Amino acid sequence: MKFPRPKRILLYIILILFAFAFILPFWTCITTSLKTKHDVIYTVPVEPPASPTLEPWTEALDIMGKPLLNSLIFTLFATIFSCFIGSINGYVLSKIRFKGSDMIFLFFSIGIFIPYQTVLIPLLLTMSRLGLYNRIEGLILAHTAYGIPICTLLFRNFYREIPDSLIMAAKTDGAGTWTIYRRILLPLSSAPFVVAGVLQFTSIWNDFLFGLVLARGSEALPASVALANLKGTTTAFWNVQMAGALWYALPVTIVFLILGKYLIRGYMAGAVKG
Amino acid sequence: MVNVVIKNLTKKFGEVIAVKNLDLEIKEKEFFILLGPSGCGKSTALLCIAGLLKPDEGEIWLDNELVTAPEHDVYVPPQEREVAMVFQDYALYPHMTVFQNIAFPLEVRKKSKNDIEKRVEETAELLGIAHLQDRKPKQLSGGQRQRVALGRAIVREPKIFLMDEPLANLDAKLRVRMRVELKKLHQKLGTTTVYVTHDQVEAMSIGDRVAVLKDGDLQQVGTPKELYDTPENIFVAGFIGSPAMNMLEGNLVEKNETLMIDLGVSMFELPTRMKEKIMETKASKVILGFRPEHITLTKKYQNNAIEAKVDMLELIGREIHVHLTTRECPLVAITTSTEDVKVGENVWMTLDEEKIHIFDGNTGEALI
Repeated sequence: MKFPRPKRILLYIILILFAFAFILPFWTCITTSLKTKHDVIYTVPVEPPASPTLEPWTEALDIMGKPLLNSLIFTLFATIFSCFIGSINGYVLSKIRFKGSDMIFLFFSIGIFIPYQTVLIPLLLTMSRLGLYNRIEGLILAHTAYGIPICTLLFRNFYREIPDSLIMAAKTDGAGTWTIYRRILLPLSSAPFVVAGVLQFTSIWNDFLFGLVLARGSEALPASVALANLKGTTTAFWNVQMAGALWYALPVTIVFLILGKYLIRGYMAGAVKG
Repeated sequence: MVNVVIKNLTKKFGEVIAVKNLDLEIKEKEFFILLGPSGCGKSTALLCIAGLLKPDEGEIWLDNELVTAPEHDVYVPPQEREVAMVFQDYALYPHMTVFQNIAFPLEVRKKSKNDIEKRVEETAELLGIAHLQDRKPKQLSGGQRQRVALGRAIVREPKIFLMDEPLANLDAKLRVRMRVELKKLHQKLGTTTVYVTHDQVEAMSIGDRVAVLKDGDLQQVGTPKELYDTPENIFVAGFIGSPAMNMLEGNLVEKNETLMIDLGVSMFELPTRMKEKIMETKASKVILGFRPEHITLTKKYQNNAIEAKVDMLELIGREIHVHLTTRECPLVAITTSTEDVKVGENVWMTLDEEKIHIFDGNTGEALI
């Protein structure tokens, strides 16, 4: 057996230290979430619980149950809507050239860089006038609209790689614009759908600002805002907060576990042809 | 059966004129070739016929129906034209099986399931791909993909086939075989076909008539034999035939009642039948063109022969290509024996006077 070179060993030591630093908060989160109130006070956070309990988990779920459901609903709908609209936009902007299409694409691209904060007041006014304030539909609409630019960019770049001859062949075969999208492009789009889907799901799920501004009370409250509310005003129940954070992280983790390998494939699809 | 008429077709891409005032008439059942080097506008013309590109000017008539006329706001979309197209990259739908690919044009046209199955079956049988029906395009060889692309075009029984360099991506051997099959298929189906290629051998071997294009300009239209025997200008003369026609520049001189070309190293006497016609054109600088197979090489001087130095011999099996130079101008001659020819030595070329071509040195147009 060959001994690794000293440089290699040093590299591994540094990497392990980094990994440790990354894992530590997550580990603390888990240990704390399994502790009783007493344990939280009398043990060091990184220590495993002396008498493990699931009580903080059920307690957190009691408070976060409805907000988690709210978040799940609007995140799913907004993700699906923004991906489909982005995909149709991408198709039109890459395969059907018309006067001003480049200009429209430029506007879409600018949309990606508009910070959330700048649109808050007009967004709030629009939503309340539409009667969508404090409603899940309002959150779906806001997140869909905000997700369209990045989805459009993603799909347009993907569709540009699809040869024009495929579209031309479909046209001479007799397929119209919509049939070409449905029968040719859509079945070929699984990679960008996974990439855009994961991107949208995580960014909408993690959003705090829109949720804070567009919802109040419990009807439409998103989980991100509910989690922040867990911190309380006078005393901090660290165990419940940590359990709530873990509940909150669960859906995104599941999405990554299921779609992770497709995601890497999707990223690669643009880079390596063939 | 259908004919295609193109009148005064012009297509620009920004400042670049891809096709310039093109006039063509393609007859019923004809296998018509658009031939030219890359960038000559042949594919653009084809896409205009298909309706996939809108020209800037001109008219296109398919089967006596006006389908494109930008000046009169006439434009029939490709979906409604009875044309089928085969692309260079085959453009097979990658997510569909061979069966689904061939069935696609029928499905889009809402044919009944039984009808679709029957027709796809027949087409696959005709092209010898019946056993591949469940495969995806990825799992097929180049030649098989080519057949599927043909199948997708044939299955809907269009009035016209448009083919854009369909054999360009195949290897040389397969290309020759598919060429023959395409021609046979055309004889069997009798569908009017417009075929784009940059390969003059392909054009000559399968075309009923060939149109030669250069920089968007139509150079000449004719049967392969007409193009080969009587090219109208030096571009067609040089483009058609392999190895290409030899060309030597010279000045016309009249001496003792005979017309000659002063080639610098030697004088070439023109046959008397040409004299009157050439004199009429008042040209002074001319180009003498002669094909490699119309040269006889001898060691001894013959009457009216041109001297040249032998550079290289290429043994192509049945025949020998002799590379020569005269006055630093490279020439090729085809012979069957190397008896009189040795590399580095001088030989005399005697030309078949019946087969020579004379072009105007300034315009490049044929004088006779």
